[in-house]
Amino acid sequence: MERRDFLKYGAAGLAGLIVGSEMPWLLENPAYAAVQSLNFTITDAKKNMVTHNAINVATCYFWIYKCNTPNFRPDCPGPNIFTTPGDTINLSITNALDEPHAFFIPGGAGLPPVFDSGPIAPGATFTGSFVAPKAGSYLYYDNLNAPVNRVMGLHGAFIVMPIAPAAGHKFTPYDTPTLNIQKLFDDLGPAAWWPGLAWEQGDPATGTPAFRQHIWVLHQASPLLFTDVGNFTPGQDFPAATFVSQFLNSPYADTFHTGKFNRKAHFFTINGQSGHFSHNNPFICPMYRVGEPALIRVLNAGLHTHSCHIHANHVYVLSLDGRLSNNLWWVDTMAAHPGTGFDWLVPYMRPPDVPNTRGIGRADPPRRTQAGGFTWPPAQELATFIPPVGTLVGAIDLAVQMSPLCFPMHDHSEASQTAQGGNYNCGLISGINFTGDRNDPAGVLTFDNPPLTHGPTKTGPAAPPLV
Amino acid sequence: MSATAPAFVIQRQSVVGMENEWVKMFDPPTASLPTPERLAPTNPVPAFIAATVPGAKMSIPNTVRRTLMHGMDIVMWDGNKVKFFLFGDPDIPVASNGTFPAPTIRVPRGIIFHGETHAQGPPPHTIHWHGIEPTPMNDGVGHCSMELGNYTYQWQPNFIGSYFYHCHRNTMQHFEFGLYGFLIVMPPDAYQGLNGTGADDKWRTAANLTNFPQFPGFDPTPVDQLVAGQLNPHAMTVPYDVEALWVLDDRDSVWAAQMPDAKDTFPVHGNNPGVNDQFFRGDFHDFNPDYFFATGVPFMAHIKTPQALAAPLQNPAIAFGTPDGTVPAALNSGVVGMQVAVNAKVNQTILIRALCAAYAKIKITFPVDVVIIAFDGRALGVPPFGNYNSAFLLKKGVPFELTTARRFDVLARSATPISDFANVEFRNNRNNQFLMNGKIPFVIL
Repeated sequence: MERRDFLKYGAAGLAGLIVGSEMPWLLENPAYAAVQSLNFTITDAKKNMVTHNAINVATCYFWIYKCNTPNFRPDCPGPNIFTTPGDTINLSITNALDEPHAFFIPGGAGLPPVFDSGPIAPGATFTGSFVAPKAGSYLYYDNLNAPVNRVMGLHGAFIVMPIAPAAGHKFTPYDTPTLNIQKLFDDLGPAAWWPGLAWEQGDPATGTPAFRQHIWVLHQASPLLFTDVGNFTPGQDFPAATFVSQFLNSPYADTFHTGKFNRKAHFFTINGQSGHFSHNNPFICPMYRVGEPALIRVLNAGLHTHSCHIHANHVYVLSLDGRLSNNLWWVDTMAAHPGTGFDWLVPYMRPPDVPNTRGIGRADPPRRTQAGGFTWPPAQELATFIPPVGTLVGAIDLAVQMSPLCFPMHDHSEASQTAQGGNYNCGLISGINFTGDRNDPAGVLTFDNPPLTHGPTKTGPAAPPLV
Repeated sequence: MSATAPAFVIQRQSVVGMENEWVKMFDPPTASLPTPERLAPTNPVPAFIAATVPGAKMSIPNTVRRTLMHGMDIVMWDGNKVKFFLFGDPDIPVASNGTFPAPTIRVPRGIIFHGETHAQGPPPHTIHWHGIEPTPMNDGVGHCSMELGNYTYQWQPNFIGSYFYHCHRNTMQHFEFGLYGFLIVMPPDAYQGLNGTGADDKWRTAANLTNFPQFPGFDPTPVDQLVAGQLNPHAMTVPYDVEALWVLDDRDSVWAAQMPDAKDTFPVHGNNPGVNDQFFRGDFHDFNPDYFFATGVPFMAHIKTPQALAAPLQNPAIAFGTPDGTVPAALNSGVVGMQVAVNAKVNQTILIRALCAAYAKIKITFPVDVVIIAFDGRALGVPPFGNYNSAFLLKKGVPFELTTARRFDVLARSATPISDFANVEFRNNRNNQFLMNGKIPFVIL
């Protein structure tokens, strides 16, 4: 029942593709495939959602970008694509659906598109190439019949990492960071208030990757409406105005009493996953020690606004709605607007309201407890099992150890924390776990149950049989 | 290709080997446990409340007490009744059966806070202290720790600023139905003076006002600099004369009427986790607010009416039962004078703490220039963590968006009289539909 066993079953988070070869630190993870061309098929899938089981049908139809080379498992969203500025990306995209589709990457705010395939006819294969733009977080998606095709599932994350930092400075996620972004990334590690690693710095001895980053592609799904689209007249686009009206304003259905759904979205996902499958997934949930700062790129592929709240640490908003910031607000909540998003930096400082000597937010010595221990690391809490060992369901023990320290990140506009109109905590939620402390006076400390990976696991054959 | 014959089937992930994490996520355990790493609480505020609020007591030394929940039907401005879930404070008579919002908790920075919590009506519940960052058991999130039961939450507030607290169980329902209150971290010498002020009888909050000299009394001393061997409790703070609290909120009366039980749609694990867990269908994905509030005081208009374009705030004197319309001290940790409708004098420093507790998104427009000094309990520009940001001017008439749970602190000061309104535009976060413009009186004489 250990957390690490999750990894045998694949991260149904996202697979990752690397175009170009400038990221050896990512290629150390065997799950990332280095390719020179993107080879996708635009096709469709029926997906079993978070609350689907032997006694409850919870499925949703999607249109998807299926990666053919390598043969990643099909999913919505499509695979993360990583590259560096100036790389040439070759594409081959086959449209296996019965209406026109496309592959499009918008530029940042006020900039022309990075790439636009134009309409790809049913059955046709588009080939072409483009040059990767400046470093940052982008959405790729099908911009035709906007916003229908994107919301139906044809989207994914396109990440451009810088090749080199500015001379004399540390890497940031950008080619031309603002002054304060550069200052922040220069301070992470060396500064007295940010002891630990720089963002660019890994530590193989402690299993800590360099350039720690997670990508959260947010989305909302409406099974009845998506099925309407999938069953529409072959060759014709479902009317976009009708789609938007149904998705956002389909009349109240009193589902609680009738059991019937309306056409508003009732599944909410991060990288296609909800609830436990997003929250406890090492490819979605950052799992690092104090002193191992991490970047999170949030991209909202849907139509709702999500107010993302992170526990345990306040975070610096580096970019918002496609623009880099210089006034780096230090917040616990930020809005991901439809079609855009934000990047935020998690400092991975010790949660500052754990009692300490001065109580001014620094990594001060902990206080002595009444039992003679220390408030940090919280040994009593880390050793606690809730529910306790021996809480059995059949032969399964439901005990969960309070180690590592586990916190959530979720949308605080809480309708998205549901699935099928209820079932709290089966919605748009990630975790943020603290797996130890680099700054312990005795040396790098690792709490019980560390994760074995921080990225996608090997893809390949489908996950073991359902349920 | 079609929905009836898709090319692929995407399986749900298996939970085999992780049934414990899977179950805990949606059906967390209820437990009443001792506080780990327990310290002695040092919060001076409960004693102050017991000494100054008629009938109030301090049952447990230096400890704030909360009970949740109390179900209550509250009459809206238009006469309709809406079901609420409320926090109670058993040590304060007027709050013991529940208030909306819950009583504001004020604490000095650096003390050891204990929040003794009893869940009832029905249980379980938790308290999450939003923006406060302790260990998971003290963070009050059921799936990362436990639900209550009984528990004493323990944390030490390290950053002066504005926060809130709410139940984190079935949150889409419990938080929306009213299980929340505001939380203010004051400078470390708060409650040493009169009326909750510091030792110099002034209220202060964290800020870096190096670029805004119009607010007198800013102390630019570094927070960690010792003065006569002690930290300066006023370092990087500014005094203020008037404090207003704007907790902007919304309620969906259909949710309240159709799903009034605190456990509605709550899933239950089966005897074969991952295979036969019980999930329920409901309407909690479909939020359509129709009542709107500032700190529990209603904006008096229906949406989709012309009146929604300029919905007046009910007179807070009616809402609070206080002659001057301020929040009763019993509901503000013993501090008299916290406003909702702003009523100040020229050349006073006015602090407005605003929280979007609504699921709608809001845009606030002020009738004067203001300076935004903090977000989410973190003052801008205060070193070292504020080395990368700074306080900034928000000009009169320019709207600023806050989405759910975001908050800011702003300062205003005028040398000339003003009789105007702040505007709070509510829009549904799902469809961006305009809901209403709430008008909050803003008077400087």
